[in-house]
Amino acid sequence: MFVTVTLSLLEGFLSTLKLFALTLVFAIPLGLIICFGSMSKAKIIRLPVQLFIWIIRGTPLMLQLIVIYYGPGLLLGESPWVGLSGRFLAALVAFVINYACYFSEIYRGGLQSIPVGQYEAGQVLGLTKKDIFFKIILLQVVKRIVPPMSNEIITLVKDTSLARIISVYEIIWNGSSFIKSDGIIWPLLYTGAFFLLFSGLLTMLFHYLEKKLDYFK
Amino acid sequence: MSILEVKDIKKKFENTEVLKGISFSMEEGQVVSIIGSSGSGKTTLLRCLNFIETPDEGIISVRGKELFNAANLSSDKHVREEDIRQNRLHFGMVFQHFNLFPQYTALENVALAPTLLKVKTEDEAKKEARELLDKMGLSDRMGNYPHQLSGGQQQRVAIARALAMHPDILCFDEPTSALDPELTGEVLKVIRSLAESHTTMIIVTHEMNFARDVSDTIIFMDQGVITEQGDAKELIDHPKMERTRQFLSAIAK
Repeated sequence: MFVTVTLSLLEGFLSTLKLFALTLVFAIPLGLIICFGSMSKAKIIRLPVQLFIWIIRGTPLMLQLIVIYYGPGLLLGESPWVGLSGRFLAALVAFVINYACYFSEIYRGGLQSIPVGQYEAGQVLGLTKKDIFFKIILLQVVKRIVPPMSNEIITLVKDTSLARIISVYEIIWNGSSFIKSDGIIWPLLYTGAFFLLFSGLLTMLFHYLEKKLDYFK
Repeated sequence: MSILEVKDIKKKFENTEVLKGISFSMEEGQVVSIIGSSGSGKTTLLRCLNFIETPDEGIISVRGKELFNAANLSSDKHVREEDIRQNRLHFGMVFQHFNLFPQYTALENVALAPTLLKVKTEDEAKKEARELLDKMGLSDRMGNYPHQLSGGQQQRVAIARALAMHPDILCFDEPTSALDPELTGEVLKVIRSLAESHTTMIIVTHEMNFARDVSDTIIFMDQGVITEQGDAKELIDHPKMERTRQFLSAIAK
């Protein structure tokens, strides 16, 4: 039984990891775009973006999952999210939007914490805007956002379990299915070990990153 | 031909007029010090010369070439940005708070701009950076990061960084004001040696004795205007204007 459960949980965890990894791949760059939008000098860009961030951060992720999964069907009469892969895609879209908004706020904080003297020092040397951002500012921002980003990313590991609300077969779904089929609850508790192990690995990775960036202040 | 000619520069922030029409010129190899109480507009003038601020009115010419004329400020922002960047290359700037790039070593700080702007290959830029840091007395500090250096050392790296771009005119914005008193000497010594090798410099400073010794001309600014300017020793020893006299005697106390 233990082997059967472990295999089933592993399969679910693969789905969890896929959702986790793809969310990061898309949300990290999208967050940067949203961040620039929220800091834009043009009100016509800045205000809608800030409104959007407020809505996404101000409502539960679970609700956003439901809106994105059921919303298009209710509006268009036909859901674009078909089958298991459709449900996974709907979950991914919800996660990417949600996390991109959180990331954008972290980026904004990081960018705004860089002293204006760093930009000016680059300017008086005649550097281009692009060089100033990529060669001077970016690494300093990265150093400052590693701790808050690691927090957010470890939260994402656990948030993936919300995808079960729209029947994405991730690890919690698989674990709890044994309650119905075999009347046992320990597989559900056993899922915790997977989360612990993975977030432990991530913690180590982020510690390593922080150490790596410790050479400057 | 004057290396720098500034005509009637005016600058307003919100409703405060910080510069109310500044005009002066200087020759190649000269050292000009700008003195005056805080809020007199000295720093803003330097920031205008380095195009960190855009003057509302006035003309800035280097070696007879008009770099900036507020009268024909173009509305095309994109073109203007590239022009401004080019203009900045004529001036170097050393800031009060050094503003070194923390993620780069002393050597990398100095070599960065010439390398990025492809003025030189990376090897050539590093070679010159080594020579410059050597001149600053920092031969044993080249591999250090800014946070590992004292304020005086950081400021000397900043001077080398500015020199690496070979500006026509090197500007200093209160280069020793953020330093502990025992560290100002090493920075002043470096600036003095630059003056001796006829580097064209504009120095905003509160170090009156230093300004008197090292500069050819001193400009005294008060409330956004030049109250008095002239030969450095003459101005410090025998100021003509009452306001200059007040300022100098207040500082001497």
